[in-house]
Amino acid sequence: MSSATPAVHADAAAPARADSVGRRLLRRPAAAVSAAVILILIVVTVGASLFAPYSPTAANYDLLFAPPSWAHLFGTDELGRDLLTRVLYGGRTSLLVAFAATTFAMVAGVAWGFTAALREGWIGEILMRVADMLMAMPVVLLGLVLVAAFGASTLSMIIILGVLFTPATARIARSTLLVELRSEYYLAAVSVGASGLRIVARELLPNTLPVLTARGTLVLAEVIFVEASLSFVGLGVQPPDTSWGTLLQQGYSNLYRSYSYPIFPGLVILLAVLVLNTLGDNLQKVMDPSRS
Amino acid sequence: MLRYIARRLVTSVALVFLGSVLVFLLMRVIPGDPTITKLGGTIKDVNPEALAAIRHQLGLDKSIPEQYVSWIADMAHGDLGNSYFSQFSVTTLAGQRLGATLELALMAMVIGLLIAVPASVAGAIWPNRVLNAVLSGFAAIGIAIPTFVIGILLIIGIGVELEWLPTQGYVSFQRDPFGSLQSTLLPAITLGIGVAASTMRILRPSLVDVESASFVRTAKGKGLLRRQVVMRHELPNASIPAITAAGIIVAHLVGGAVIVEYVFARPGLGTLLVDSVFQRDYGVLQALVLLAVIVFIVTSLVVDIALGFLDPRLRTKAVR
Repeated sequence: MSSATPAVHADAAAPARADSVGRRLLRRPAAAVSAAVILILIVVTVGASLFAPYSPTAANYDLLFAPPSWAHLFGTDELGRDLLTRVLYGGRTSLLVAFAATTFAMVAGVAWGFTAALREGWIGEILMRVADMLMAMPVVLLGLVLVAAFGASTLSMIIILGVLFTPATARIARSTLLVELRSEYYLAAVSVGASGLRIVARELLPNTLPVLTARGTLVLAEVIFVEASLSFVGLGVQPPDTSWGTLLQQGYSNLYRSYSYPIFPGLVILLAVLVLNTLGDNLQKVMDPSRS
Repeated sequence: MLRYIARRLVTSVALVFLGSVLVFLLMRVIPGDPTITKLGGTIKDVNPEALAAIRHQLGLDKSIPEQYVSWIADMAHGDLGNSYFSQFSVTTLAGQRLGATLELALMAMVIGLLIAVPASVAGAIWPNRVLNAVLSGFAAIGIAIPTFVIGILLIIGIGVELEWLPTQGYVSFQRDPFGSLQSTLLPAITLGIGVAASTMRILRPSLVDVESASFVRTAKGKGLLRRQVVMRHELPNASIPAITAAGIIVAHLVGGAVIVEYVFARPGLGTLLVDSVFQRDYGVLQALVLLAVIVFIVTSLVVDIALGFLDPRLRTKAVR
């Protein structure tokens, strides 16, 4: 058995590894719970029209700022609308911004980082220096500047947050790829004369994907956090669009009339960020036990 | 060592330069003309002569490179430029608000370290499952919980229900030191929890690593007291990653202060920044952002130099 040739061995191990990352991840209780919570959050917000107990626009002027009750689990807002319903619908915007901005950051960051890794010399050097410079700015601050420059709306949030998290992703993509470039399978692919694009798409990308996925999960959490921060100070998603951040902002300005109004959107943001962070951390540990 | 410091200095100056160009250019690509806002008009029917006069007064009639050079020259002389919106200079506006922000940042840092260091040491020297689970839980939640959520909970609990502390505004330290600390306590706790969590996240694993290092075994073996081992051998060695964390803490303070000041209606630099975005006051905005970037870059420079002293191996390594 031990005399199996390395080639066969590597072939058999490749699919098994990808499979076991998922399994090893779910064997960790914290990761399994987090994954379940994320799934539930996505399902109930995307299917808000199915799960929400009321219509998001149904006002009830006899029941303004109601505290939590069985009829209204999160209470009601300044127009007597059901807060749970609004949180579910608001989650659509928050998660849309989060996923779209993260996809933006990952695609742009990977392209940037891979180019820097593959084009060593002055191109790579310049690309990384620019990334360093952008990373030298605190995220919320650069976010504010970009909002000042390009305005605040749901669409501009996606682009601004995507841009904000691109440099850090580029740095990670580059360092991950540099490790892979020292591997034997890469040398093998080069030596059989595979084209550059093919090597990137068929060999390098699949092998860096686990690390990049872990990074993406953490970016999701950060995007939700920063979007909520900007919307909270009124410089993010703008009414009539509703996100968790704008709900929190409206709840905060009515703090003295209803405690539940700001608290529930706040707790939902906390929950989302917490489970995404936990999942991302566990993903990193599963894939690279030495770094945990 | 000198070469290492010199190289880091050059990189930092270059970063500040590039950062200033970036901020400046971003301010110029903004659609709309800030001078029209200053004249109180939203439409184009403002008097062209008045417009030209104001543009000249603000130096906006010069070419972009000329504007940049005169801006940087003024900044270097400590003149932060003029607000496009109010009649005050940025130096005056920022000066009025600096105290509120500095006091908040310092207090938050003290609170954060007072939580993080003892808790991390306790976790490392008492390998108790329950204690470590509590600490890990605190760190995980402390990192994930948005500052505005902590702030709102504290306002409701301690401010409104218990009425122990004021929840809004700021009393200057020169006028009333005790009242000033009182008005800063809730915001500082809010910001400090995040600082504590991010410090613990780095300090705890490195303390655990050090705990199992051979030189600690030697120190224990030669009969030093537990306290001596921790204070003289473990903390200094675990402090290298923790000093790296200082950069992260400063980032946390700069970004967090904006939100915390907003939550507690504190007249600090953070609220000035948010107001300047709302008012499209680019004169204030570009000066404040450049200052923040400089603070940030200087911090990482100091951190790197401190690390160079603590760990000679870093000096020879290429600067990333």
